[in-house]
Amino acid sequence: MKSERWSMLVLSVLFLCLSSTIAVSNQAPLRAQEQKVIDYLVKDWGEDYSVTSVDIAMKALKVDQSDESRFRIGSYIKSHPELHEVIRRWGWVTLVLTPDEKLIARALVNAERDGKSPPSLSELARAVAITEPDVKRGLAMLERYEILTKDGKAGGAGYRVIPRYIKWEPRLDFVFHNVSSDGGRQFSVN
Amino acid sequence: MLLVSGKLANEKVTVDDSSPEGTARIHVVFDKGKLISREPASTIFFLGGG
Repeated sequence: MKSERWSMLVLSVLFLCLSSTIAVSNQAPLRAQEQKVIDYLVKDWGEDYSVTSVDIAMKALKVDQSDESRFRIGSYIKSHPELHEVIRRWGWVTLVLTPDEKLIARALVNAERDGKSPPSLSELARAVAITEPDVKRGLAMLERYEILTKDGKAGGAGYRVIPRYIKWEPRLDFVFHNVSSDGGRQFSVN
Repeated sequence: MLLVSGKLANEKVTVDDSSPEGTARIHVVFDKGKLISREPASTIFFLGGG
């Protein structure tokens, strides 16, 4: 009986190790420009209370922005909290999402939390003051980060918020305060 | 504090903020530590530090 329990424990540990290895190896390696963004952020975070987000860093470095590239950098930050205390203190969400994505998430979170019907694409576009195609891109990104999940029965835009994000206020996940000076410095604070 | 007495006190600084709760955006401009403009006009600005 005791040896069976040990075997189960060993198997569970092996399974967990294997799963994390697969998760890490599934992530595409960062390109040189993307690594440059990570290096910039690690140096910038904490300077002047900075919690600079990926999009601001890419803008500061004049790196071409695409959802794909931002997602690769964001996923790297998500899976590497050891990179900097700022990730561990504030969480990866506030560092990797753009203002538009944060506001889309807020609209869905607030509706779900308040028991209201989920906003449609056009309602989200109006609420966040962006176009419907931009709302779709934002929703897709939030789904990739596992903040939202697609649900055909949800109504509205067809997404539900993953429960741990329903109460977002204390975590500051969907907050942004972006600062830019005429001296050229761009950063975010919380 | 960076804005009024720190290293940004002599610069023109733009702050783009999320509202505390909703989906509105706030855009505030300071010049040499002084508030120059704010959108929406109903924006209330608290200065403090912790």
